[in-house]
Amino acid sequence: MLKVSLAGVRAHRLRLMLTGLAIMLGVGFIAGTFVLTDTMQAGIDKKFAGSASKVDVAVLPKKGKVDVLPEEGPGGDRVPADLLTKIRALPGVTAVHGLVRGEAPLIGKDGKVYGDSPTRGLSVTDGPLQRYDIVAGKAPVAPDEAVLDERTAKRNGFKVGAVIRVLDAKGAEHRFTLTGLADFGVDSEVGFYGGVGFTPATAVRMTGERDPVEIDVLGGDQAALRDAVAAVAGARYDVLTSRALGDRLADAAGADTKIIRTGLLIFGVVSMLVSALVIYNTFAILIAQRMREMALLRCVGATRRQVFGGVLLESAVVGLAGSLAGLALGVVLAAGLLALVGGMNAEIPTDRLTLTPTAVAVGLTVGIVVTVLSALLPARAATRIAPVAALRSELEPGGGRFRLGWPRRILTVLFGVLGVGLALLGSLSMDKGETAMFVVAAGGALLFLAVIALMPALVRPLGGAAGALPARLTGVPGRLAVANARRTPRRTATTTIALTIGVGLMSLFAVVAASGQATVVANLEEQFPVDFQLHTQFSSAQTDPELPPALAAGLRARSELTGVVEMRRQEARVGGDEVEVGTATPAAFGRLLKPPVRSGSLADLKTGTVAVNETIAKHQGLAVGDTLRIGTGRGQVPLKVVAVFGGETSLSSYVVPESDFTRYFGAKGPWTIYVNVRPGTDPERALRAVEQVAQPYPTVKATSATAVKEQFTSAFDTMLMIFGGLLGLAVIIALFGIANTLSLSVVERTRESALLRALGITRGQLRLMLSVEAVIMAIIGALTGVVLGVAFGWAATESMADSSVFALPYGQIVGLMALAGLAGLLAAVLPARRAARTSVVESLSHG
Amino acid sequence: MTSTFTPVPPGSGAGAPPAPPAVVATEVAKVYGSGDAAVHALRGVSVSFAKGAFTAIMGPSGSGKSTLMHCLAGLDTVTSGRVTLGEVEITGLGDRRLTLLRRERVGFVFQAFNLVPTLTAEQNILLPLELAGKKPDRDWFDQVVEVVGLRDRLSHRPAELSGGQQQRVACARALVSRPEVIFADEPTGNLDSRSGAEVLGFLRSSVREMGRTIVMVTHDPVAASYADRVVFLRDGRIVSELARPTPDAVLDQLKALGG
Ligand SMILES: Nc1ncnc2c1ncn2[C@@H]1O[C@H](COP(=O)(O)OP(=O)(O)OP(=O)(O)O)[C@@H](O)[C@H]1O
Ligand SMILES: [Mg+2]
Repeated sequence: MLKVSLAGVRAHRLRLMLTGLAIMLGVGFIAGTFVLTDTMQAGIDKKFAGSASKVDVAVLPKKGKVDVLPEEGPGGDRVPADLLTKIRALPGVTAVHGLVRGEAPLIGKDGKVYGDSPTRGLSVTDGPLQRYDIVAGKAPVAPDEAVLDERTAKRNGFKVGAVIRVLDAKGAEHRFTLTGLADFGVDSEVGFYGGVGFTPATAVRMTGERDPVEIDVLGGDQAALRDAVAAVAGARYDVLTSRALGDRLADAAGADTKIIRTGLLIFGVVSMLVSALVIYNTFAILIAQRMREMALLRCVGATRRQVFGGVLLESAVVGLAGSLAGLALGVVLAAGLLALVGGMNAEIPTDRLTLTPTAVAVGLTVGIVVTVLSALLPARAATRIAPVAALRSELEPGGGRFRLGWPRRILTVLFGVLGVGLALLGSLSMDKGETAMFVVAAGGALLFLAVIALMPALVRPLGGAAGALPARLTGVPGRLAVANARRTPRRTATTTIALTIGVGLMSLFAVVAASGQATVVANLEEQFPVDFQLHTQFSSAQTDPELPPALAAGLRARSELTGVVEMRRQEARVGGDEVEVGTATPAAFGRLLKPPVRSGSLADLKTGTVAVNETIAKHQGLAVGDTLRIGTGRGQVPLKVVAVFGGETSLSSYVVPESDFTRYFGAKGPWTIYVNVRPGTDPERALRAVEQVAQPYPTVKATSATAVKEQFTSAFDTMLMIFGGLLGLAVIIALFGIANTLSLSVVERTRESALLRALGITRGQLRLMLSVEAVIMAIIGALTGVVLGVAFGWAATESMADSSVFALPYGQIVGLMALAGLAGLLAAVLPARRAARTSVVESLSHG
Repeated sequence: MTSTFTPVPPGSGAGAPPAPPAVVATEVAKVYGSGDAAVHALRGVSVSFAKGAFTAIMGPSGSGKSTLMHCLAGLDTVTSGRVTLGEVEITGLGDRRLTLLRRERVGFVFQAFNLVPTLTAEQNILLPLELAGKKPDRDWFDQVVEVVGLRDRLSHRPAELSGGQQQRVACARALVSRPEVIFADEPTGNLDSRSGAEVLGFLRSSVREMGRTIVMVTHDPVAASYADRVVFLRDGRIVSELARPTPDAVLDQLKALGG
């Protein structure tokens, strides 16, 4: 049987090659993911090992207290500064460095603080414990010297020797001479926000962080030193040798690599699923075409088991070949991607490609197992062929009829009802949020199963609909194509379902992204009908940054601007809870700020009253008319609740009148200011006016609503492009499926094609016929995908949040369909050429 | 309807047609492969087929009958020599011109697999006309359908028709477009004698009554006896001819060829 199987593979190698390609692409994606992430991880490990080797012993806060990097937030994740003095006093210690890390906002070229979040201030020593690479110039030694990370320097156009301005913790400006550029290593924070390096003492002064995040120690034997340091550090801190430090740092950074890997592998699984469909279809068709051969085998004495095993063996050979090619493809893909990433981001070192045994094992196993599993059903079908089939005259494959059997009907109805039911439940009647989204996802999966079961029955009507136009346009070839697409409903169904997966997910993402975008824009417009917003950088150290009090007056004085609204807030105690009490410029209520009021009225917000957010009200059991006591600078004050409001709003949970706020908490700058353009004023001029007013305050940033919208739009677009790209592979594999089905059909219909040629169909018309058939299949698949994707995009959007707005990205959906049609044309190129090339005479006589 | 087509006794047909020939082959040679593997399927065949005549081609298996027919019909290219269809010399024409020519001037009936399985009988019959973008002449169509006796089978697909019915559909298709020549390669090879007789009688009456020109390849002396003339091939050459053949005369001739 082995011989027969191998001969089978050889005889059908062309047809099997396309199957192999489908496996190759799927496995290539998975293997490529492994190679990419393994290589990145290896580079990171190496870099950290190198960096840690400069240290004999390091003291860090206990692991587990912090999950990301050891510098977020104050207090518990730092090492006390006095430990530094104690360690320095230990015998044998030759050098000690406490790594300082905090916020040190750099003022950029435009005179404003750089970035949305302050740049990080770091300590740089010039001693042997210097962990960062100085890539240009030299490390800072004097209190008025500093270094910058390369990217931040480049973005702001700062060269070595330039004078830079940095704000200290109190907001005072300091000037430094840029002595060099530093590479602060694989550090996501510095990567995002930029880093400024000072001498250790200056770093403490600038960031206001007395306690270091880590203490590095040099001095003789590592084990002995570790024990000595551990003795003074106590149990609250981890004392690590250089090796352990390297591992720990790499682990922390490796979390990112793992997330990348998991994310990519999800798309790999989608691709393999599509590959499985393509493989299943190919084997099913091959078995159907080799009916006689199989029957003959049975006639000459092959048992069912042997026939079954033979087919599976054939699939295993194909799976192995495809997987091996996939591994090679994966390495190439990863190399290409790394070259691309390496060009953009030099922080991740990637010297050598890493192909781990795990990657090889996973790739081969997945490839072979998926192939063999996909061939199981066709192999079983092969065993059902009766020996007498060899004697019957040739059967034309596919009667064009498909009767939906009872099992399929039951599955369709069951899954369909369940799927739609779950989707409606999740999107309409459940509380919005994660659970509802999971319910919708489950509904989507079930409905997809229902569609798979029903698809063969849908091929006829859908094929007719999709082919109506081409049949009109192209006449006979088009009509023959429609008939051909519909003649083997199961085959067409499986072929198109493979495309449905990719297109469905793509349109789902497109709808969710468009809806997300629409939601953001709608919320922005509804809640902040403002043109500009003034705010400070987002800082984790300063929990409640304030804008300068004079700013609002300056804005109100400008004729280009109108509707200046100041928003203030303050932490206070109500009962036993820390809550946020806020206020806004009185004129804003009912105009700029109009949250949905559930009971009472915001117009009643007078001295001695308060408006409460509905969530808080529900939680605290407050209603209009109740009185609550709030802790203020002047002691407990009783406040009467006059309104309960809801919605997504920038208002604090407790809102008091502005004059009361000042009385309770003293004069306080606003955390944000909203400004509108005066009607009839050029927005550009208004923007300049805002910028002029804000000019004296480097920490104040102005954002225009248009810019925010654009930011969101481009963020959504980027997300969509990445998802689209990753799903593109699944679509490509599905196209291989179309090409494969089509070329198998071409082989099957050789004689028919020859007959048509003899009767006067030109080569071009024959090619046209196959192209139309491919396009019809592509359109059926894409259409089903789009319908499912849009429906579940809607359901997902509805289930996400109350304020979600559904939006249909018409352009993208139409584009997706057009692309699918085009891709169908592409898939038909080779089979059509093959069909047109075969000789009429030969096919007629030897068919 | 079989009564319409009871075989006319041989020799009682119309007299020799005076019209110019429909198809002419001049010194046609066909070589498959090259060098040692070369097969000389036709070695200089010159023959002409008169308009309005029913000619049978016979000969032992492998003698080149199908090859000759394919060359005459423009389905295959010749190695040397010339073929003229009507006034057009088809040797040397490109694939596209040949295809269009076939579509308009030639009809085919093959031994099997004559019909496009996805089309109904009616659609199959009208296929060449549609390809040529011509409106079918409804009266003519009805007449042909009546003659082949397929009126109640028009909406059936090939899989739902018997072998004889399928061949008759093929004949109807060959006739509907009023081609200059109809080529038939063993059209009755797969049929029992009764169905075969139906098809043959129909072919002959289409020559007699509709003035068609038919060239038919066959192995069956009885089938050949329906023709006005039989041409015998052996080893790629025309070796003899028989006018107004009877089954016995044909059989004798075949025996003489050592077939
Ligand atoms: N495509 C081809 N390649 C090589 N040789 C061929 C090819 N087609 C036909 N031949 C050879 O040409 C010769 C004539 O073949 P042809 O099919 O014309 O015979 P035939 O008279 O129709 O035979 P039959 O009665 O069996 O149908 C044979 O020897 C055959 O082997
Ligand atoms: Mg032959």
